[in-house]
Amino acid sequence: MATAPQLPITRPRWARSPFYFNSASHLLRIGREKATTLQELLEAIRTCPESSIFQHTFQTLAEHHFIREGFSNDFSHWAFASCNEVELAEQLAAIDVREFTSIATLRERLIHMIETYLQKNPRAATRVAMEPFYLMASDLVVVPTPYVARNLEEFADGLRKVSIHAIYYHFIDARLRLKLNTNDFSVWLEKELDMGQAADKLNRIDIYTSTLEGVRRSILKVVETEMGRA
Amino acid sequence: MKDKNPEWETAVLENRKAGESSQKQQEKMKIAEKPVTQNGGQPATGVSERRFRQTDLPAHFIERRMRPRINTQQPPPQAPPRLEDYEPIIGKPELDEIRFLARHLRGKTVKMVNSTAVGGGVAEILNRLIPLMSELEIPTRWDVITGGNDFFEVTKGFHNALQGGEYNLTQQIKDIFMAYSEQNRQRMEFAEDLFVIHDPQPVGLVRSKSQKRGKWIWRCHVDLSNPHPGVWDFLKPMVEQYDATVFSAPAFTRQLASPQYLFYPSIDPLSEKNKDLPEEYVNKVCDDFGIDRSRPVITQISRFDRLKDPVGVVESYKLVKKYVDCQLILAGGGATDDPEGAVVLQEVMEAAGDDPDIIILNLPPWSALEINALQRASTVIVQKSLKEGFGLTVTEGLWKEKPVVAGAVGGIPTQIVHKLTGVLVHSVEGSAYQIRYLLTHPEFAVQMGKNGKEHAKENFLITVNLKRWLLLFQVLLGMAKPNAVL
Repeated sequence: MATAPQLPITRPRWARSPFYFNSASHLLRIGREKATTLQELLEAIRTCPESSIFQHTFQTLAEHHFIREGFSNDFSHWAFASCNEVELAEQLAAIDVREFTSIATLRERLIHMIETYLQKNPRAATRVAMEPFYLMASDLVVVPTPYVARNLEEFADGLRKVSIHAIYYHFIDARLRLKLNTNDFSVWLEKELDMGQAADKLNRIDIYTSTLEGVRRSILKVVETEMGRA
Repeated sequence: MKDKNPEWETAVLENRKAGESSQKQQEKMKIAEKPVTQNGGQPATGVSERRFRQTDLPAHFIERRMRPRINTQQPPPQAPPRLEDYEPIIGKPELDEIRFLARHLRGKTVKMVNSTAVGGGVAEILNRLIPLMSELEIPTRWDVITGGNDFFEVTKGFHNALQGGEYNLTQQIKDIFMAYSEQNRQRMEFAEDLFVIHDPQPVGLVRSKSQKRGKWIWRCHVDLSNPHPGVWDFLKPMVEQYDATVFSAPAFTRQLASPQYLFYPSIDPLSEKNKDLPEEYVNKVCDDFGIDRSRPVITQISRFDRLKDPVGVVESYKLVKKYVDCQLILAGGGATDDPEGAVVLQEVMEAAGDDPDIIILNLPPWSALEINALQRASTVIVQKSLKEGFGLTVTEGLWKEKPVVAGAVGGIPTQIVHKLTGVLVHSVEGSAYQIRYLLTHPEFAVQMGKNGKEHAKENFLITVNLKRWLLLFQVLLGMAKPNAVL
């Protein structure tokens, strides 16, 4: 009687250090600064605490994670919806927070962009906006989740189960913690599972043309492809 | 409710007793017991009955529009939901996060104080929030301040004055406020770890603040952007004694020494006003009120108050009607018991004229399910307020996945990201154009509705509110360092 061919037993590759999925909850503090014109906004951006720049660029992405297009950061949205300065809004919208590993450099970029625009369009500086811009600040508290990954299968499982805020925390917010142009998922895949190519692919996922759920699906697609290969 | 927290139960019973003893409460109960005068299509006192012009509408629609079937029976109160009931709505990971945050606070005690146990938005929120906190093993006691008519007259005056109204503040008024504050302070015990004092009425309780124990939070639900200077100067020294303040919108704050936090007012997705409804029930309500579901429905839900601009909504509808065959529902209350509400209702009726497609409903206060159904039957929801705090009807519309067109006033610009989660308008013409656009671009309207629901889920649900309280408690008690791993 013929015996069925024996399939090779695939052993999952084990990470030296596990991946602990965390999530982030945030409290919104109301800042002291308020702008009714672009000039006032420029002054406020110069002087506000870093947590305010963080709130209106990084954190706002998490708050509006469900919008696929047309939303990038609060400054851009205000320039468009309240100041009707479409060109400036477009320029501000093109800022990709993933290029920044510190709030200080992001602040400099914002200041430079608005200053340049106001030099070219001096009348726009003092035109009163339809709605004022209130600067807020975000206090982030990291919350551990029960999900831990020691191999690719567990990693995919965690990715499927964690909240969208955990995806944001590891994929977007991570840059400011790591001070690197990458994210927690890529760092772990490369360091722990020697999957440099997959790590690179994750870094090329566009967060501005997708919802965060879409980003989660894209990350999972890369991970599942690697699982298929293994 | 399973596993009732005995402390909470005692507090509620005490609150009811305290609340019922006050004149204000008794008046509220009387109002609830009054028969609904407009029932059976009869208008509120002093409001003339409408006559419709000839129309092709089937007779049963006209009959119901003339004599809507309005529920006259107040339904029994709903048992508050348990935390696990929210899992299908917010997901397990989100619920796990709430439980994790609460774990650190287990055993810490909280006292919440406001000025009424029944009626009003604050009591509505506390009725839901406190059982959830207790379920998370954070014993939370709810106390209600008491006072005579003179005290509540003063606090009503303060309430209006803080929102920009005229007021003659005298020493006698200050004395009345302080005397009742002191009386309430003497009556209450302050042994908890955290104190949350809601609104200006009980603000003076902070004089019981001890240097050794307890953190004090003032939760202000009122718009303080343009307060009466005298009243604010009187209250400010008390407000400044709090460890933190919480406001509903950034525009509502004053410059204060203590940190100010932003908590959006929340809705409960499991309440009668917001829970999912079977389509058959929505159809039944439409049938009761003569609403034709084959044509678009524009709806504004709000009491008959000039600041809600119901006449402006009628004017917008008339501009829309030139292009799109639609119906307008103006549903709300306040016209039966409030003389000014009856006057506004009369103005709305006059503005509506004999147009049979303008359906005006003066509903009793227990119409939450009917309002829910009306919102769900709507194509576009409007809240064209001229002045507004935080428009909960806007949030309710967002939660029901409806495109919302709302006045850019008060807290509404916080609730709507213009053209992404809803539309902000500044005029009758602007709202008419936006409604037309939404009615003729249904795909855009559907996407906006979806975004709006996500926006509400992310920011305006009671579970989000609960999470914010847990975070703030941790921060104030030094248990969580913001921007650091716990």
